[in-house]
Amino acid sequence: MSVFIATPFGTLLLTVAQTLAMLVPVLMSVAYLTLAERKVLAAMQARKGPNVVGPFGLWQPFADALKMLTKETIIPTGANRILFMIAPLLTMTLAMIAWAVIPVNDGWAVADINVGVLYLFAISSLGVYGIVVAGWASNSKYAFLGALRSAAQMVSYEVSMGFVIVTVLLCAGSLNLTQIVRAQEHVWFFIPLFPMFIVFFISILAETNRAPFDLAEGESEIVGGFHVEYGAMTFGLFFLGEYANMILMSAMTSILFLGGWLSPIPFPPFTWVPGPIWFILKVCLVLFMFFWVRATFPRFRYDQLMRLGWKVFLPLSLGWLVLTAGVLLAMGWLPGTPPV
Amino acid sequence: MAFLDRTARSFLLGELISGMSLTLKYFFRQKATINYPYEKGPISPRFKGEHALRRYPNGEERCIACKLCEAVCPALAITIEAEPRDDGSRRTTRYDIDMTKCIYCGLCEESCPVDAIVEGPNFEFAVETREELLYNKERLLSNGDRWESELSKRLELDAPYR
Amino acid sequence: MAKLTVDGTEVEVPNGASVLQACEAAGVEIPRFCYHERLSVAGNCRMCLVEVEKAPKPVASCAYPVADGMVVKTDTAVVRQARRGVMEFLLINHPLDCPICDQGGECDLQDQAYSYGMDHSRFAENKRAVKDKYLGPLVKTFMTRCIHCTRCIRFSSEVAGVAEMGATSRGENMEVGTYIEKALTTELSGNLIDICPVGALLNKPYSFTARPWELRKTDSVDVHDALGSNIRVDARGSEVLRILPRTNEDVNEEWLGDKSRFSHDGLKRRRLDKPWVRQDGKLRPASWPEAFGAIAAKLKDLPGERIGAVAGDLCDAESMVALKDLMASLGSQNLDCRQDGAALEGGRRDFYTFNTTVAGIEDADAILLVGSNPRREAPVLNARIRKRLNQGGCPVAYVGQPADLTYAARHLGDGVAAMEDAAEVLRGAKRPMVIVGQGALRRPDGAAVLAAAWALAASVGALTPEWHGFNVLHTAAARVGALDLGFLPGPGGKALPAMLGGGVDLLWLLGADEFDTAAIGADTFVVYQGHHGDRGAARADVILPGAAYTEKGGTYVNTEGRVQRGYVSVQPPGEAREDWAILRAFSAVLGKPLPYDSIQDVRDRLAAVNPVFKTLQDLPHRGCTDQAGPSGDPAGVGREPLQPAVPNYYQTNAINRASATMAECTRTYAAPVLQAAE
Repeated sequence: MSVFIATPFGTLLLTVAQTLAMLVPVLMSVAYLTLAERKVLAAMQARKGPNVVGPFGLWQPFADALKMLTKETIIPTGANRILFMIAPLLTMTLAMIAWAVIPVNDGWAVADINVGVLYLFAISSLGVYGIVVAGWASNSKYAFLGALRSAAQMVSYEVSMGFVIVTVLLCAGSLNLTQIVRAQEHVWFFIPLFPMFIVFFISILAETNRAPFDLAEGESEIVGGFHVEYGAMTFGLFFLGEYANMILMSAMTSILFLGGWLSPIPFPPFTWVPGPIWFILKVCLVLFMFFWVRATFPRFRYDQLMRLGWKVFLPLSLGWLVLTAGVLLAMGWLPGTPPV
Repeated sequence: MAFLDRTARSFLLGELISGMSLTLKYFFRQKATINYPYEKGPISPRFKGEHALRRYPNGEERCIACKLCEAVCPALAITIEAEPRDDGSRRTTRYDIDMTKCIYCGLCEESCPVDAIVEGPNFEFAVETREELLYNKERLLSNGDRWESELSKRLELDAPYR
Repeated sequence: MAKLTVDGTEVEVPNGASVLQACEAAGVEIPRFCYHERLSVAGNCRMCLVEVEKAPKPVASCAYPVADGMVVKTDTAVVRQARRGVMEFLLINHPLDCPICDQGGECDLQDQAYSYGMDHSRFAENKRAVKDKYLGPLVKTFMTRCIHCTRCIRFSSEVAGVAEMGATSRGENMEVGTYIEKALTTELSGNLIDICPVGALLNKPYSFTARPWELRKTDSVDVHDALGSNIRVDARGSEVLRILPRTNEDVNEEWLGDKSRFSHDGLKRRRLDKPWVRQDGKLRPASWPEAFGAIAAKLKDLPGERIGAVAGDLCDAESMVALKDLMASLGSQNLDCRQDGAALEGGRRDFYTFNTTVAGIEDADAILLVGSNPRREAPVLNARIRKRLNQGGCPVAYVGQPADLTYAARHLGDGVAAMEDAAEVLRGAKRPMVIVGQGALRRPDGAAVLAAAWALAASVGALTPEWHGFNVLHTAAARVGALDLGFLPGPGGKALPAMLGGGVDLLWLLGADEFDTAAIGADTFVVYQGHHGDRGAARADVILPGAAYTEKGGTYVNTEGRVQRGYVSVQPPGEAREDWAILRAFSAVLGKPLPYDSIQDVRDRLAAVNPVFKTLQDLPHRGCTDQAGPSGDPAGVGREPLQPAVPNYYQTNAINRASATMAECTRTYAAPVLQAAE
């Protein structure tokens, strides 16, 4: 078996198998995430949500998918056809390839690389291009406004998000995601770094263009923003990308702050529960927070968004970074050089 | 002191937490939704739904072509043409309601001296083509025949308030 | 003159006027049902009660003569209470069936109950019901609604002159009707509908078809007789639903003949709505260019003297001037408007108009009718003569077939020679009138009759600078206009009889249906331009669909020479167009376009042809300063008895021949023998 895997073809096959094993559940969960979101929002608004297609509306995602697949793809006359088609593909692809480095369990990652955090950070930053390209290629004023907003928003929040991650890295002493989880064996980082956890959570809301930071869409002001001209499956790809990104960011949160696959209560019978289950539960918890926030808060105004990013989160995360580094240094709690 | 208080509140995310606790509370509350096509909410006897032309119990149509509804209709949705019927009575030869124009104000019903045109309890009359919403006399009379038991009950319930 | 005070306003009214008239002069509205200003005073509805100072109780203002220094109050608690009481009484037996009543929306009782009545009735007993009466094919009755104002009774006996209506029984058993069941034998029965203040007498053909608020009201002029009654055309969509008189004191007061009122249903039957061209002996539908092409092909190389044109009885002046100009451009002098062959000549207007004017009849003190039955030819004018007679001191005599003119008239004989006896009737009168009808003029010796009548008028002193007593009563609405325009044979031109029998190769009939089309030469190419598929259209080789009088803005000159104008009420059906526009379009096909592009241009042209077309309505007072008579020789009068010009009042032109209502009237009135035989 291992001999076969060692052959180039075998390696390829294994990689494909691993990729599929990661992506298929991700796509399935994207599908059900849409249903979950509708159900949670409905519940918070004293409604029931979709409940007609299948038991409890469980077939609803497939009905939606079928609808989007069967609709006509319309490319506006004034649009840049190539970029217009590339933009949703880009968004979707970027949301997918980030999953390569996510460890679902100890060592269960498609590519367990040492610069996992940097990779994730880089890929999620690229996500903005999908939106900017879509906004520009649509040749529509609403789409263009949406794209501008999204670009400015992503830049503002990535800075403080970077500092938050650096704080975590200081504590973990590694850029490898698996190592970061292992470093939380004793205490999950959200306890010592609680303010940073909050900043990080709010930042990922902004990063994924979710309420209350969905200014790039802003359906009540710019009628859908960057995807105003998209329909059918091109819109579907944006949709998939956005939800895949949400799951990715939730996974990242649970890895960086919530101890990844680790059991919250470190003794049996809880430790008997397999790691992936814990991981999934944590991801679900963060996703629930996403919906909860969406159901609770109205959309930020653009200038409020900018103020929050640059004048609150940036100084706060910078200050907390210096504090953390100082505390770690003063107490001699700095982690050792991670094994190569 | 107020400054400290305000700062503390904002750093402790008091407003965010209270907001989120409210939504969480609603998350577990009883839902207001009813399972629409299978369950329906109660409607008032004055509910203004689909129009119908009623008949007398002996089968004679009530409408006498007085054209008051046509005159009062603010949306100009009603068109009536009349001529003497063979027995010499005043009857419509045409009674059309353009349901796409109708604003369901109920003035036709109010103006009718013989309770002939009424807006019934039916609000589920979606159709696939626009033409199907151009109701003619035949359609309105058949609506009346179909809904008569409910229509007369509604009128009876509403009578004390008129 | 009496000076009195009405609600604090001082007014001065003639002695003998009623308090109601004084109130109207003061601008105070008094509710009334039985009072009608053109009828005698009955004073039985009691709705016009007002308070007069020093009078012990409210008085009926319509029947109470004014006195100097009288103080009238119309808006006191007593008056209001009295009106409410009267209204309550009137409504005791009036059914609450406004929703099915055709009068609803234009009902005096409805309006006044709303304005002056109480909001409820204390009458809880059963209402009475009355069996409906039959009053003929035009008036529908619903006698339960009758409030016994007796306006209809007074109208039929005073204005229409048929004492056929009356009330039987008394009190609650009183019923208005004809004593024996019969159709009212009057040509003015439609006016009963207008004067009835409630929905008891209704328009039968119009029944249940429309509500007054749905109708588009257009002012127009009637063309069914030569009186030019002012009418209001009520239309909905593309259909004329009814015709009502419009008040014009100088012409029709507020009356209208039945033919004018009820023949509008002929406007939607037998209409020409597209051009037709005869091919292989059969007419087939064609397009406008095809029809024009067919005429133009025929006209090619045709000399002017082989082309003729005849104007019909319903034509507006605009279309006639256009046709006249078209014929002039073709070099033709063959024009005629006298389909019946009446011996009328153009030129001096005195010889072909009703010079006394209709309103002038009321000043006459002796009237002679020559070959005219105004009851058939112009019933509203006849009512005016009757009105003069009712005032007394005006003998009327007539020459012609014995007829019931609705008033006492002396029959002098049926031949023109009997005119001589008339001198004794007219002599001694200060303002005698001679009315010559078409029955006298369409005889071969018509010119002689015209001259004899003129000579008679001159001899009895009817022609003075103050008084012009010579009158021609026309039967065709277009005739005076055509004569004014000179639509007559030009120098060397042929009159209608000469055009027939092959006298011309192309005959253009502008709505001309009233002559024997069989007499047209077999090889004559006939162009019929008009609105109804009647006699003319049947003979035509090309049919050009034109507009009827409700469909075009037309200028008409009535028998008095009064120029009147109607407005467009509905659009012509199908491809039909206004007639002057058709002629203008055809002239362009010929390459000789007529010099006008709009109706206003045509009217400017009318005024250029004859200045009388410059002023609408206004008719200057005419005296006769030139005693010279028409060209005929009075000695040439024949011996044959005079024949009536209008044998059947109800069917005289293409429109009312197409009308079902008029056919029904003909069955009832003009040919009652058939009914009796059934």
